[in-house]
Amino acid sequence: ATEWNVSTWGKRRAFTENLEKLAELVAQKTNGDFKLNISYGGLSKAKENLDGISIGAFEMAQTCAFYHSKKNPTITVAELPFSRDVTLTRMTEIYMELFKHPLVVKDLARWNATLLMPTPMPQYNIVSKSDALNQLADFSGLRVRGPGGIMGVLSKLGAVSTGVPFTEVRQSMDSGVIDAASFAPHAHLATNSYKVGKWATTNLNLGTANCPVIVNTDALNALSPEHKAALLGSVDEALAYYVNNYDNNTTGKYEAAIKESGLTQVTFTAEQTAELNTLAESVRAEWVKENSGDFDAQAVLDFTKAQFAK
Amino acid sequence: MDNISIGIWVTGVMLLLVVIGVRVAFAAAIAGFIGLVWIFSAKMGFEKGFLVAVKMAGTIPHSKVSTLALSLIPTFILIGFLAYHAGLTRALFEAAKRWVGWLPGGMGVATVFSTAGFAAVSGASVATSAVFARIAIPEMLKLGYDKRFAAGVVAAGGTLASLIPPSAILVIYAIIVEQDVGALLMAGFLPGAVSALIYGGLVVLLAVTRKDFGPPVTGFSWKERFESLPGSFPIFFVVAIIVICIYGGVGTPTEAGSLGALMILIIALYKGMRMHALKESLLETAKLTVMIFTIIWGVLLYVRFLGFADLPSAFSDWITGLDQSPMITFLMILCAYAVLGMFMDAIGMLLLTLPVVYPAVMALNGGDAVTAADSAFGVSAVGCSIWFGIIVVKMAELCLITPPIGLNCFVVAGVRPECSVQDVFRGCTPFFVADVITIAVLIMLPGIVLWLPGLMGFT
Amino acid sequence: MSSSSTVLEDGSRLSWADRTLFRFETVLTLLGGIVILLLVFLASVNVLGRWLFDLPINGYVDWVEQAMAFFAFLGIAYTQRMGGHIRMDMLVGHLKGRLLWLSEFISVLLMLGVTLVLIYGSYLHFYRAFQIGDSSLDIDLPTWPAKLVVPVALSILALRLMLQIWGYLRAVKQGDDEPIAVPLIEDAATVAAKEAEAVMGSLTEEEAK
Ligand code: NA
Ligand code: NA
Repeated sequence: ATEWNVSTWGKRRAFTENLEKLAELVAQKTNGDFKLNISYGGLSKAKENLDGISIGAFEMAQTCAFYHSKKNPTITVAELPFSRDVTLTRMTEIYMELFKHPLVVKDLARWNATLLMPTPMPQYNIVSKSDALNQLADFSGLRVRGPGGIMGVLSKLGAVSTGVPFTEVRQSMDSGVIDAASFAPHAHLATNSYKVGKWATTNLNLGTANCPVIVNTDALNALSPEHKAALLGSVDEALAYYVNNYDNNTTGKYEAAIKESGLTQVTFTAEQTAELNTLAESVRAEWVKENSGDFDAQAVLDFTKAQFAK
Repeated sequence: MDNISIGIWVTGVMLLLVVIGVRVAFAAAIAGFIGLVWIFSAKMGFEKGFLVAVKMAGTIPHSKVSTLALSLIPTFILIGFLAYHAGLTRALFEAAKRWVGWLPGGMGVATVFSTAGFAAVSGASVATSAVFARIAIPEMLKLGYDKRFAAGVVAAGGTLASLIPPSAILVIYAIIVEQDVGALLMAGFLPGAVSALIYGGLVVLLAVTRKDFGPPVTGFSWKERFESLPGSFPIFFVVAIIVICIYGGVGTPTEAGSLGALMILIIALYKGMRMHALKESLLETAKLTVMIFTIIWGVLLYVRFLGFADLPSAFSDWITGLDQSPMITFLMILCAYAVLGMFMDAIGMLLLTLPVVYPAVMALNGGDAVTAADSAFGVSAVGCSIWFGIIVVKMAELCLITPPIGLNCFVVAGVRPECSVQDVFRGCTPFFVADVITIAVLIMLPGIVLWLPGLMGFT
Repeated sequence: MSSSSTVLEDGSRLSWADRTLFRFETVLTLLGGIVILLLVFLASVNVLGRWLFDLPINGYVDWVEQAMAFFAFLGIAYTQRMGGHIRMDMLVGHLKGRLLWLSEFISVLLMLGVTLVLIYGSYLHFYRAFQIGDSSLDIDLPTWPAKLVVPVALSILALRLMLQIWGYLRAVKQGDDEPIAVPLIEDAATVAAKEAEAVMGSLTEEEAK
């Protein structure tokens, strides 16, 4: 029998259902001969999952690109604001295409890592406990926890990026270390940010975090052909299950929670959205400039942009 | 060999190392490293497994230490070392004497309440006992109080420091179980106060029932009483800062601790603390901080190995599978802590046991998502993790006054040559009983622990 | 449990090495203490600035996380020299003479083993961060200096442990009751008295009575 250790963090939630389903399917297909043991934080700190994969301490892990953008610069492209709200199913397709891009494959190969599947998430929205947000200028001085692309745009409006640990988000917001957190619905639910917040945005289209599931390349190559087939052959079904669960059980639950907690819903007007999109444009340009020394960033951006446009 | 057997063997090795006197932090690190090598070698051969274990182990000291919430610990320690120089101890004792000294056994009651007050600026039980052994015991002896009682009340009063915030040990508990630090600190307030009241009541009871117990101190005018207050104001400030910061949502616990330390530092400098004393305080703070952080990363290296061996979940499966009521199992766990605590230091004991025991206790209560109504102990999952923290810290404190290794008793005996260690242990006996009562009360009425965190939204 | 002990000195080379290293360790530990003091100032300014003027320190979280390795590790060898890392001395406390020094020797040798492993492992951890220019989340502070502190501090600890190995070996050979350059086992009362003294720092005459 083969056993793989899988490292993720927090508790079981919508975010981890792709892993849970994958483990279930793989065990099913191999009659329990190939087991994925998912550990919630026991094997590594969230931000060091990529190190763990590189070392070979565990075979599979979930990680987020923005935790260490310098370690995996190519996949941070998917965290850039493309000003498009696409479905989770489409997000999945975009990621799968991106993960096959040769520059991306090469980037992750430095860590002896192979991208297995994405963890697609809806566009991030903000929950904040500061005074009501009436205009974009009110972002000035707002301390926000969020991934690179969103923070790139918001910092142009004067927001301050403040990176508290995931588990301390609620307390940090309560005590004013951060004013706002930018998350996908499941994470607002997991951190209870909405219980502290006063307002929530509804239609921010500044991107999401890219949190792929990666595997140790040597371990993948060492699998028997049947096991490998079982693993790779289960990815699509695991993702479909994930997307279905997220769309039907999580997003709605979050929206209900926001309403029930009485948060003011901030919906950006068409003009405001246009202004944000202009800023997003320059954030994308800066990303290219910043990374061009290391790889053909323009090519990766164009590729991703084309995917979003489809 | 399967991973769980490896887990049990390596745990045995660690306990052996601890018993033969290897420093606890390193005993845990050695065992953890051996365990990682063993597990990885079993999977990928020794040569590769060893290298993977070295790399894995090498990430842990830095990554575990750079945890934002842990930054609270040195600020709490610094407060304690500076509090004495700020003249707080004598002022507190004087105020307590004037306000509650008239009660039967008044000096004992005053000692209990001034140690409780000092607990609000001190994170360490042993230090509190050491300080009050110098101040309170001579006065009690002068007035004719029994030597053993005087020593016992100081040793026992010192234990309050770990429940009433600031408390380093509660912070460490919170980090290990990944619970909110602020919630745990707030949770400590009421049980600390309840403990102090039970101690105080016990002293009054002893004074009333025993002949020649020692006189109350009477005759202070209201003017004298009020005059005694300003000297102890810094204590109220520190309490206020912590409550306002954490409960009122102004700042993080670390910021609260820092503001407290800064204020006590300013007062200490104003009271004439010299450069030399400041330097000594910084050295002592740094040393204690290093000691605590080393044991944290050392033990977490072992915990990382446990994660790979999956021992904690095996243990909690076994515990929850026992054919008896969860409460009986829980009480047996507490008894095990009482026995272990006789021989071990509180921080070392909690760090070494919690990774395995905590998941088991949570599982006993009904799991990570249980509501108070469906649970075994009448507390929700979040409530259970806070409630168990306070109880287990109280257990650890209890061990500071029980033989053979009751550190507080040794400290008191060390400071007061006229009291032997046996005297102090004898004097602690009634307080041991009081502590057992307190723990029983906290188990039966979890609301005492959970009320304040509940107001903060942790239910 | 013990947490502090005495180290005897004399004119020998071993004692000279012990004292020289100790001076260096003391400076490092004091540096750690100063970093703690700076943390206190930083956190105070941050909370007051935020509360009173709505002006927090940019990158506060990053600075704190980077500072932690300094105060957590700089004093690690000093703490070992002072016997400050806690342990259970129920058993060793009853040993005497050569048997005691032999058991201490074994204990320190084991510590040295794991320390050497950790030096190499934490060096690799540092080197990965250094090589790729890994940086903190918000204000892009480089993370390598804090990661470098670990192997450096552990290397000094390794030196200290080697000195103690030398000291214990000498004690085993000579069979001394009170060897130099190693922390002596003290009974609980002495330890407690020191513990008390540490808290009290500079006592006035009157209070000491
Ligand atoms: Na305290
Ligand atoms: Na004890």
